[in-house]
Amino acid sequence: MKRDLKLLAVLISFCIPDILLLLFIIWFIRQPVHDDMMILMPVCSSLLILRYAFMIIYYKYFYSARMNIIDEIISDFRKGKFSVKHPEEIGSGVFRKIMKELTLTGKYLDEIVTVQKNEIDTLHEFYNSIVFSISSFFMVLGDDEKIVYANDGFCKKFRFDREELVGKRIDDIFYFVNARLKGAIMKVKSMNKPVVLEQTHLLSVNKISIISDIKISKILVRGKNQIVVILDDVTTKLKKDYQITLMSHISGSFQKDLKIEMVLYNILTAVTSGSGLGFNRAMLFLIDEEGKALTGMMAVGPDSLEEAIEIWSSISSQDIKSLNYESSPREGKKLLNSVLSANFSMNEDNIFIRSLNNREIIHIYDSLMDENVDNGIKELMDVREFIIVPMMAMNNPIGLIVVDNKFNLVPIGNDSVELLGIFASQAAFSIESHNKLKMVEQEKNKIEQRIDGIVDTEKMAAVGRIAAHISHEIRNPLVTMGGYARRIMLQSKGGATSQNAEKYAEIILKESERLEKILSNVMDFTKPSKSIRAFNNINNIIEDTANLLKNIFLEKRIELILKLEKDIPFVKSDSIQLKQVMLNLVQNSIEVTDPGGIIEIISEHDSEHAVIKVRDTGSGINEKDPNIVFEPFFTNKITGVGLGLAIVKKIINEHNGKIEVRNREFCGVEFTIRLPLPV
Amino acid sequence: MSRLLIVEDEKNQRELYALELQDEGYEVDQAINGKEAVDMVKNNKYDAVIMDIRMPEMDGIEALGKILSRDKKIPIIIYTAYSNYKSNFMTWTADAYITKSLNMNELKDKIREVITARAEA
Repeated sequence: MKRDLKLLAVLISFCIPDILLLLFIIWFIRQPVHDDMMILMPVCSSLLILRYAFMIIYYKYFYSARMNIIDEIISDFRKGKFSVKHPEEIGSGVFRKIMKELTLTGKYLDEIVTVQKNEIDTLHEFYNSIVFSISSFFMVLGDDEKIVYANDGFCKKFRFDREELVGKRIDDIFYFVNARLKGAIMKVKSMNKPVVLEQTHLLSVNKISIISDIKISKILVRGKNQIVVILDDVTTKLKKDYQITLMSHISGSFQKDLKIEMVLYNILTAVTSGSGLGFNRAMLFLIDEEGKALTGMMAVGPDSLEEAIEIWSSISSQDIKSLNYESSPREGKKLLNSVLSANFSMNEDNIFIRSLNNREIIHIYDSLMDENVDNGIKELMDVREFIIVPMMAMNNPIGLIVVDNKFNLVPIGNDSVELLGIFASQAAFSIESHNKLKMVEQEKNKIEQRIDGIVDTEKMAAVGRIAAHISHEIRNPLVTMGGYARRIMLQSKGGATSQNAEKYAEIILKESERLEKILSNVMDFTKPSKSIRAFNNINNIIEDTANLLKNIFLEKRIELILKLEKDIPFVKSDSIQLKQVMLNLVQNSIEVTDPGGIIEIISEHDSEHAVIKVRDTGSGINEKDPNIVFEPFFTNKITGVGLGLAIVKKIINEHNGKIEVRNREFCGVEFTIRLPLPV
Repeated sequence: MSRLLIVEDEKNQRELYALELQDEGYEVDQAINGKEAVDMVKNNKYDAVIMDIRMPEMDGIEALGKILSRDKKIPIIIYTAYSNYKSNFMTWTADAYITKSLNMNELKDKIREVITARAEA
């Protein structure tokens, strides 16, 4: 209503010049005399001017206000606001109609945009949270290999601002760029396949060291190629796996190679390899055998930064396993030489010896400022920060490992020190094991020599026994022969003929025949046969043995019973060796059999074997492990070394035969030899 | 005249010793093994017994024990080809242990010695 009044007032005011003109004309006509016509012209024209002025004012008032609204709406539309603020102010008519239409369209568009915006926001949020939830660090490189984007993780890890990173090349942010990484980027650019680099060592210019699995792939953004580089930090994981890997690595190489240099080299390679502790240089010193001096033994590490970069950028951290003392490129010759020539007396008072004596890890932060570091060590190390770790074996120090980061100057963290401590004790164990193994080897050699000696002694003893046996055997006939011969001689003195000369001569002859038989028995045992394997009758072998030992049986009052199968098949064998078998077996039985006992030797055969059994009435053997009697050096006797039955077993095995031993039912044992019959 | 007993299983040797000792003026009896020797010592009186060790049926060591258990004073001389019986402590109970030799002088001297020693006691 108010608005209508206002509008009415406006309309009325709009008509004011017309009303004034009308009133003037009426007044003019009413004038009886129109003499003063001169007044008409100025008044009319001024009223017309007023009329136009009013028109202009009203136009201004109505249209420009509306145009402002339209301008406002358009600019809102442009901004994406599809709303009309005060549509009622527009007024009525066509204009209002248009505005109404516009408003509806705006609302419609607004709805569409809002929905799409929501969708985009959701997606954005979704992708953002995915990107944030990934622990990986990633960056995107443009086609020119400059960094376009790096995620928060990446920036935080390497301590860069994102703005600082954008536009830089990877060479600018990493202290050295692994050649493999560069190569991989080239490869991804030229081909469309993603590349994965495992366990690659990267070091940022601000000294952040990381070992990561790197995934590189190509994406297309608005027609432009971009490279996505994702770094998965495996440093911690690797450190955890490290001890195990390292130990298997060390013990593996330690078993393969007995050279101490190899063991030491492996230890130091493990300390300097990127996947583990990743120190730049490592040196190893050992206390000598007398415990008087600490001597440099091995060093691993480059001599210069150039050498260092060359190594780091060419070797994957994984490659540690393939390193080898002999085949590795011998970088760091200067270092090795200076360490090898280093020698400290254990009486010296320096930081190395102190670490050993106090059994403590010493971390030198700045050798130049540290009074504890004497000039000799300063000169040798030529670096500000290093760690001295004593190697302890069974609580005794055996040497030192000294490490530093001379070239990349990465500060040494406490976790590395701790790990190195653990590692040093493992290394000490390795070295100690190596030395112990060497000692065992030496002892083994000594024992082998001693065994050879014992075997020789036993051989000599056997010869001695045979000699004693023979000399006793021949003494009896010799004494008899000599005695009668002397009698003949004495009786024939002075030309007289001895009364009993003929009888005595006969006795001498018989005794000499007996002597010959004894000797031939002995010869049977000692003479080598021409063909080692011939067809032999085992009965003959048994009888020969029995003959040789006849007197011992008498002497010990042991009864010998031979049960020999007639026409036993011949066995292809070495008769001397088989005689040795029988002699050893029977002698063994004699030794364990008391006077009055019985020894039986039996020969028989089945379809495949000739069988010899030797039974005695001795004390028997341990039921649980009867075969132990065949072990060399097994003996129950005070004299002898226990080789007799071992030799028996060896010979029978060589004949493809078998020997068994078991206790007999009531007393004694039975040895059974089976020798294969010719097919 | 002193009476000796020779115990030896080998006939030729036994007879040789008998001849040699008879030549020395002894009366000599012969036994062919330990068992016979024990019986003969039981029934006769000897001034000395010369005995081998390794003999069938009963060896010298066993016979030595049996003879000495009957008569502790009878001199017994072990006369054997084997020197290693010296390690058997039973042989220590004999008055002498002599290894057989072509030269019987050692045996003869020892017989004389033990007989003289016995006569003096």
